[in-house]
This record gives sequence, structure tokens and C-alpha cells, in this order.
Amino acid sequence: MIEYQKKIQNIAERLLNEKKVDVVLGFKKGTIPMMNQPCLVRVPDETQKLVWDSNCGINLTNYLTNRKERIGIIAKGCDTRNIVTHIVENKIKREQLVIIGVPCTGMIDKAKINGLMVNEIAEVSEHNQEITITDSRGATKTIQKKEVLQSNCSICKYKNPVIYDELVADLVPESKDIDRYEDIRKIESMASSEKFKFFEDMLSTCIRCYACRNACPLCYCPTCFVDESKPQWLGKGMDPIDIRTFHFLRAYHCAGRCTDCGSCERACPMDITVRQFTKKLEKDCVELFGWEAGLTLDKRPPLDHYKTNDPQSFIK
Amino acid sequence: MEYERILSASGPTGGHLVRLSDKKEPKKIAWLQCIGSRDMNRCDNAYCSAVCCMYAIKEAVISKEHSGDDLDCAIFFMDMRTHGKEFERYYDNAKTKKGIRFIRSRVHTINPVQGTDDLEVRYVTEDGRILNETFDMIVLSVGLEIPKEIVELSKKLNIELTSSKFSKTGTFKPVDSSRKGIYVCGAFQGPKDIPQAVVDASAAAAAAGEILSSARNTLTKKPEIIPEIDVMGDRPRIGVFVCKCGINIAGVVNVPDVSKYAETLPYVEYATDNLFSCSQDTQDKMAQLIKEKGLNRVVVAACTPKTHEPLFQETLKNAGINKYLFEMANIRNHDSWVHKDSPEAATEKAKDLVRMAVAKVAMLQPLKEAELQVNQTALVIGGGISGLVAAKTLSNQGYESHIVEKDSTLGGQAKSIYKTTTNEIVADELKQLINDVTTDSKIHVHLNTTIKKVDGFVGNFQTTLVGNATETVIPHGVTIMATGASAYKPSEYEFGKDSRIITSLDLDQKLINHDPMLKQLQSAVFIQCVGSRENNRLYCSRVCCTHSIHNAIELKELNPNMDIYILYRDIRTYGERELLYRKARDLGVIFIRYSVNNKPSVAIQNGKMSISVTDHVLNRPIIIETDLLTLASALIPNPAEDLAQFFKLPLNEDGFFVERHAKLGPSEFATDGVFLCGTAHYPKPIDESIAQAKAAASRAVTLLARKNIFTSGQVAFINPVNCSSCGICISICPYSAPSFIEKGPFTGKAQINPVLCKGCGLCVASCRSGAIHHNGYDNGQIFNQLFAITELPN
Amino acid sequence: MADWEPKIVSFFCNWCTYGAADLAGVGRMQYPPYFRVVRIPCTGRMHPKFFLSALREGVDGVWVSG
Repeated sequence: MIEYQKKIQNIAERLLNEKKVDVVLGFKKGTIPMMNQPCLVRVPDETQKLVWDSNCGINLTNYLTNRKERIGIIAKGCDTRNIVTHIVENKIKREQLVIIGVPCTGMIDKAKINGLMVNEIAEVSEHNQEITITDSRGATKTIQKKEVLQSNCSICKYKNPVIYDELVADLVPESKDIDRYEDIRKIESMASSEKFKFFEDMLSTCIRCYACRNACPLCYCPTCFVDESKPQWLGKGMDPIDIRTFHFLRAYHCAGRCTDCGSCERACPMDITVRQFTKKLEKDCVELFGWEAGLTLDKRPPLDHYKTNDPQSFIK
Repeated sequence: MEYERILSASGPTGGHLVRLSDKKEPKKIAWLQCIGSRDMNRCDNAYCSAVCCMYAIKEAVISKEHSGDDLDCAIFFMDMRTHGKEFERYYDNAKTKKGIRFIRSRVHTINPVQGTDDLEVRYVTEDGRILNETFDMIVLSVGLEIPKEIVELSKKLNIELTSSKFSKTGTFKPVDSSRKGIYVCGAFQGPKDIPQAVVDASAAAAAAGEILSSARNTLTKKPEIIPEIDVMGDRPRIGVFVCKCGINIAGVVNVPDVSKYAETLPYVEYATDNLFSCSQDTQDKMAQLIKEKGLNRVVVAACTPKTHEPLFQETLKNAGINKYLFEMANIRNHDSWVHKDSPEAATEKAKDLVRMAVAKVAMLQPLKEAELQVNQTALVIGGGISGLVAAKTLSNQGYESHIVEKDSTLGGQAKSIYKTTTNEIVADELKQLINDVTTDSKIHVHLNTTIKKVDGFVGNFQTTLVGNATETVIPHGVTIMATGASAYKPSEYEFGKDSRIITSLDLDQKLINHDPMLKQLQSAVFIQCVGSRENNRLYCSRVCCTHSIHNAIELKELNPNMDIYILYRDIRTYGERELLYRKARDLGVIFIRYSVNNKPSVAIQNGKMSISVTDHVLNRPIIIETDLLTLASALIPNPAEDLAQFFKLPLNEDGFFVERHAKLGPSEFATDGVFLCGTAHYPKPIDESIAQAKAAASRAVTLLARKNIFTSGQVAFINPVNCSSCGICISICPYSAPSFIEKGPFTGKAQINPVLCKGCGLCVASCRSGAIHHNGYDNGQIFNQLFAITELPN
Repeated sequence: MADWEPKIVSFFCNWCTYGAADLAGVGRMQYPPYFRVVRIPCTGRMHPKFFLSALREGVDGVWVSG
């Protein structure tokens, strides 16, 4: 990872020096372990604070929306797919961007790591594909990174950037023959009552903080439907129906656009597996339209255009 | 016709398929084709009725859909004539997917089976066996003929008829009767199906319009305009009118109860019931009540808005209320008529529907309709016969037009055609037509010109033409697509390898040039359906059977000793073209049928050309030595993807334009202000192309004759503050109504052109940001309707 | 379940199913009185929230046709 970091710093410094960009969007070390913060670097001298490790799960595309300056952005496979979506949806222009692509080996799930130690975690470091955790009492534990990957990373099909101007390392091999939808098929096969119970349980802890929405690069409307009052799409309280409505509609807004970057789930303070919703729609888009989000600048997502020869065999 | 009634939901059996004699559900039905058509022995109708093959297939398919796959449907036919648009595909589907049996045989005897109502059919199969088969029902596919009275009427009107008693018309004047000022359309002109009859009707209207154009608008009166009362900001004061519709509603629903209930609903100021809400006196009474009670919104609980909304909206207008402050509750078609055995539940449903309508109408806002000036000029794309006739028809009605032709000359395909089936020399007629067009001061011809860009919409198009390296922008109000089709260059039957193998149009060229070689021919062979009716071109090219037969006759007349063979799959000389087929046989032209799975083959050896084909009578291969092989190659549409994009017009899988409605709107598009004619629609002969060109012009005049048009107020609009500029609306709209704002404070946000918007609401539902609203079906309005779906808590 | 009477909200496209439902009336076809039709200009107008709203109002089913 340290090689990645060096390369990132070098590229950022060069781009700023050559005045190719006004700002570089990347990560800096956070104040607590496993929490890197997004940061903007405007002068070459500050590029040394840029970091890279397996805690860079936040999707930086979220910070591109409607920006006017020229930006160098550090982007993993999933992030680049969101950049593509952002460009297609007029949120940023391709000419404004220098995409510093990061071939990604996955981000780690802090909840999983927290679960491994009894005491508070003081430090997490990584070497090759191993993670070493040190707790506040000095106890350490070393594990394989693949055991603590974010669940979206463990089923990732696009580790490498799909669009980039610079690369920080050689491309990594993509995983083959991944079953992305095992969990979704399980839910699909449930009886209605079982499904209802499943969702009821799943969302019972939701506190409607909207962190999932805020972390998502797809959510950029000036006024979100949850905040509108005329018409009032849904009530503002903790009524379970309103909570479910929020999650369903949020998922629908991401249909054909979600890259399964995992930001929503990563942001959820209640560890709700909100990706179940978006993944269901992702699966539908693959099966009905042969579409995966953010792979091409030339096409809009399937629900975005009107065609007279739309496949409609699913309409019974 | 009788069978159609049995299949109809409003027919004698309520749409239930039974044998009328004993009410038994049939298991086997046979259709016998050509009853009263193509038959000189029994009825003296030598012509083909043109429509029966298709209606028999349709009836068989519907019967199967109705009664399930167990129903056995058999169609006994001579030639299967599915020459209309999308018909061949339908035929293929009926054969391969629906399992309908097609039996090529003319049945000569039907015997009743003793003691039952079943019927026995005796027929000869293609391979010569005689079979008996019993059916529960037999449908006779009866042809069309002109009734006696019409023949007499024609005599009185002094209109000339053909030998088949149809009105005599010319190829170049397909709707003119023999008497000036009398125009004909529909089956009186010749047997034809709905789209062709609709085309003729529009064409006849155009022809009549041409001679009457100077009288336009001389007898019209202007309606009085009642000023609209401003109700914006006022509390809703809703009037509810519950209609009894005689006993249609009141016979089931307790109407007084519903109207009493309506009075209790929020914002309802007044509710009453009427015997017939649509009667003139009730309308006047309603207008009176609206004024008297100061109502500002109205609900009529009656029949369907699809038929009666405009009428009631007119009443609102007459009372000075914006016509969009209106909602109907459909308590007849959706209630009393369909729940006649449960009056109580129907009354409850009526109350629910009224409550929902009241909830919605309270949220409605007065709407404005955009007014459009109509540019009085037409753009005609394509300078073939269709385009020329369309422009000429418009000019005769007083409208200017621009013809855009990519080629260096006018005339299109007609330049390569020798004679019409009625022996008019095409070149002479075409020369006259081109002369009429080029000397017409209202018609501007742009040769060697293509279209680069199209902006605007109905009434106000701006089209950029590119010709001779210069660009011109033409403003126009309507567009007529006449882009045509051209002959397929065959890759089969050794075409291109020997000068004696030519296409039908090549043969026409030889006939035009009076090529002396034609007289020398000992033998000539025609092969039909080259590139048509198979694989990726599953349509019939419609013109080729008649064309080949006509050319065969020409050759026979040049040299009666010439041996002529026509190798065909089905002869499709529909209508009076059948007479040519008959004539050709009389002259000794030999017709040999081949099957698509066993096509003829061509061999050239030692300078001799021979064609081998399996004879359908002998059922064995025969070899014909010949001096000339003419391939009746398919007609394929000229590429028009760009134009389709520019004007947002759909193309079908074969590349022909898709009209607004296959039956009722054959000469126009769903896109307003764009019209269609000629072979760009489907292959067709000159007379039909001309009729459609006149029809397209006629449809265009309905727009041009108005100086301005109003669009619907029920359209989408965008609140730019909420717009996130994602562009979904622009991408998703089938009508190109949304666009990005180019200047001002909301630059980059989307806006909707109300003139282009059809109000479908696709963008409204797709807008994640909730920035798009729908006038008339807004989210809040639909929500309110849903909130009222259950009884309000007291 | 035999005497269960559901309430179903039907979103019908103005151009096809709404007209078809009108024709069902013209043909006097009889069907159970459980449906409440909401006319929409096109099924393209359907918004996921319409389903949810209707269900929330207590209907037992939502039928979209067009």
C-alpha cells in the first residue's frame, strides 16, 4: 500500500505543479483508526498528507457534484464507475477531471475488525495482504485482509478503474465467476409473509439519519424527496411505513446507476444491510437489460431512455 | 361478417364462440376462401376481393386465442394473399406459432353429416389425394361486390364502371371518377382493406378540396368567447352532478343516494342528479348553476371522460370557468354497466369514485393552452411520384411546399417503370407531372439535397438542407415523408453473372427502349419473391406478381410464340389485377409454383441457361431452358434512420416507417405535423402511392388550414429550483419536449416546451428530484385521489 | 377467504386500458366491484410512490395496466 501512497503523492504533486488541476481530491489520515478522511489538496507541498490504504472506502465522487474547477481525483474501480455516471448525468465534465486510477484490492470492514478485539482498537496497519490490529492495551492480532473485506468488495467485479488518466499501479487481476446475487436470490425465494418479516426486522433499527443517502454519490438533488412538503412524499416521523418507503424509493432512485461501492452500508451507524435493496435492482438491470452501471460514457442507464423496442417480456 | 359477430363481445352470443344451430362449442372450424371471388363459373366475379385471406387468418387466430389451442382451424385457399403491411409476418406466425392449418385446395363439395350439425368437406390435396374431413363449423370467406343499387346510382350519375362493376379510375388519378367533380373512395373504387380505404377517403377529400380551395372559410362563423373568471387562490367550491343516464346508471346505482353523499364531502358546495347530464337543457342548467352557486370546480359522475369530457368542459367554458377545473367519475362504464347484479356494491363504488374525483378536482388549477402560429409551408422529403403528387396537391389547395430530393432528378422509381397495369405509359405521365411541379410557383424543388438538422415542432419546423455545399434553413409547418423504396439487388439465382439474368426493372428498361432482343426470345422465365417473404425480409413486396404478369403479357404480345414461365409461391394479383393473371393464363403463360424450401436453381452451361424447378402438379423436377431470366426482386425501403431520428419517427424491423395507426391513420405519424406516403410506408403500386400522397397532403391541410392551433394544457412543467440537471427527462422523452435552459439564472436546468409535450408523464415519474410537475395529473393530485380511496374518518 | 372482498386500486393508461375498461362496460361484461380506477395519462406516469401510497391507504392490491 505504501507504494500506492507514494505514487499518489507524486502524481498529485506533479499535476499541481504543472497546473493541470486546481485541486486534488484524495484521503488524509483520520483521527481515529480505520477512518481516513476525504481531503482537498491545492498546493504541491501538501500532497505529502495524502494517504492510501484499505480504509479509503468513501466514494470521493460524492465530492465532485457541480464543482467548477479542474480536479484530480483518486478513484478505485467503483469510484470510477460513479465518475462515469456523474459525467453522464451532467454533474461534472470529463474535461475538468484528471482521474488518478487506483487498482483496488478491496476495502476493509471496520465493523468486522472491531468485532475481532475486545478492547478499543488503537491501530490497524497492513502489509501485503495482511492486516495487523493493535488494541489499546497493546495486544495484536494479524489476519488475512480477505477475511475482513467489506462485503461489496468481496464480490467486486471491477477492481480496476474503468476510466483513468493516471494509474498508481499495474492493474490487478479481476475476480472471475463471482456470484453477486446469492443473498438476493434467497430473499426473492421467500414467501410474501417471510419477506415482510425480513424487511421489518432489517429496518427495525433504522433511525432515519439519512447517512446512507448522504454518503451516496448518486444522491445529489437540490431538494431530496424526503424533505419535500408539497407533495409530501412521506411522513417525517419514525413510522415504520415511512421508513420503508424511504428505503424503497432511495433504492429505486439508484436503479441502473448504483455501482455497489458500498458507501451507504459503510456509512450506516446501525449496520443495516441497505445494499440488499440496491443490489436487487442491480440484478434486475443485469437480467432485464444486460446493463451494469458506470461502464460507458456513451449510454445512459436503461431506465433513463425511451425506446420503442424496449424489451418488455417481463410485462405479463 | 356473421362469424365476426359471433366473435364480438357485443354479438349474439356475447363473444362466446358457439355453433348457432345447437349452441355447441366447435372443436374444428374450416374457412373456405375465394367464395364469390376469382370465380367465373358461379358468380361472374373474376376479380380477387383482396381482403378475405387476411380476415380469415385473423378470425382463425382470434378463435384460437378465444377457445384455446385445442381448437383446430383450417383455411382452404388457392393463393394466400397477405400482401398488406405486417400481413406476411402475421401469416407466418399463424402458420408456425399458432398452428393454424393452411390447405391449398379449392373445396368443391360440403355434405351435412346425417344426424348431427357437422359438415363434411371433400377436397383434393396438393399431391392429388382425395380426402374427407368433418368440421363443426365452416366459415365462407365471402368476397366483396358492388350492390345493384350502386350500379344503378352510377348509371344515374353517369359514372363509368369497370367490367367488375367497380368505379373506373386511372392509375394517375386514383380517386377521380369518369365524371369531373365526382370522386370515389373505398371499396367502390375496387376491393380493399381498411387502411387503403382510409387512404382513399383522405385522397378523395384532397381532390374535392383542390377544386373547392377558393371557397375555404367563406361560410364559417366565429364562436362567441366568454371571459374566464379568475379563481386562483379561491377556496374550492365544488359542484357535483350525478347522472342517471336514463336507467343506464340509475337502474343499478342509487343515484340520489350518491348525490346526497356527495354533498357531505369536503369543499362540495352543491350536488344534484340529472336524468341525462349530456342533454342540451341539462348543460344550460349546469352553466346556470355554476354561475348561481359561484362554483369554481365541477365533478360530473356519469359515463366516460373519453367520450364526454370535451362536452362538459365546453359547459364550464360557457359558464366562464377554466375547462381544466373539471373531473369525471366514471360510474357507468366502470360501474353500473359492469356490476348490474350487485346494486349495493355498485352504489358504494360510485360513492368512492365520486369521493376520489372530488379529492382530485379540489387540487386542480386553471391551465392555459399554448397557442401556436402554423407556418403555412410544407416540406416534402422525396421527389418520387408520391412526393411530387403531395406537393402538387398542396399547391392546388393554395399551400407552398419545398421538395427535397437527394438525387439529381425528380421522378424516383417511376423513371424505371414502363407501363402501368392499365397500360398508361409511365414516362409520359411522369413527364407531365414533373412539368406541372417545376412550373408551379408554389413548389420549390431542391435537387442533390439532403437534410442535416431539424429543429422545432408542429407548425414551426426549421429544417437545415445541404445541397451543392451550401446550407439553407427552411421554415415549415408540416412535413411529408415520401422517402420511397428501391429494388433489392439479388445475390441469389446467379444474378450478376450473366447478362441474361435481370431484374424486373431491367426488363422494364428493355421494354422502354424497345430492345429488339425481346422479340427474338424463344423462352423467358420469371422468378417471383426474390428477397421477399423470407428470413429477414418477412414481407410481401406487393407489386411484383402483377408487374411480372404484366410484363409477361407484354412479351407475349411482342411474340406470341415465346414460351413464358412464371415461377411463383403465391400469385398475389389482388383486386382487379386478378384479371391480368387470367389474361396471362389465357395467352398461354405457364405458372409453376415452387415452395420456399425448394427454390428453383439456375445453371449456365456451354452458354445455355437452364432453370430447374419442382413442378407442383407433376411433383417432379423439370428443367426449363431459357433466353431470359427476370427476377422479381423485393422492394426495400430507402435508408431513413437519420430522418427518423430528426423527426422522432418510428421504423419497423424491415425499415419502413410506422404510421400513427395501422388501420385508421395510415398517412400520418404519431408525431404531430409529420405525414407519410408512398413506398416509405410499404411497397405499393403507383395508383396507391398517388392516393396516399394525396391523403398525406389532405391530412397536412387539416393543420395548414388553421392559422393557429392550441395545444393541451395538460402538460408537464419543471420547477428549475428543484432541477438537478441530470438530463433524464431529456433522454427519456419520446417527443423531445425537454431541453436545457441556455441562458439566464437557470442555465443548465431543464425546461419543457409545452407545445411538444404530450402530457404522458414519463419525465414526471422519472424525475428523482421531484422538479417536474404535471398539469392535470400532478403528484399531489393523484395522491389526494389515493388518500380518498377509503372512506374519510368522521 | 371465500367472502373476502378486496379493494384494489387500478392505475389505467388513458389511451388503452382505460378505454378497454370503458368497452368492457359497453359490452356489459360483469366483474367483481372491487376495483377503483385512477386514470393516468400513460403508465409512464406511474411512480413507485403511488403503489406505496395506495397500499398505505389500506388497499389490498395495486393494478397497473397500459
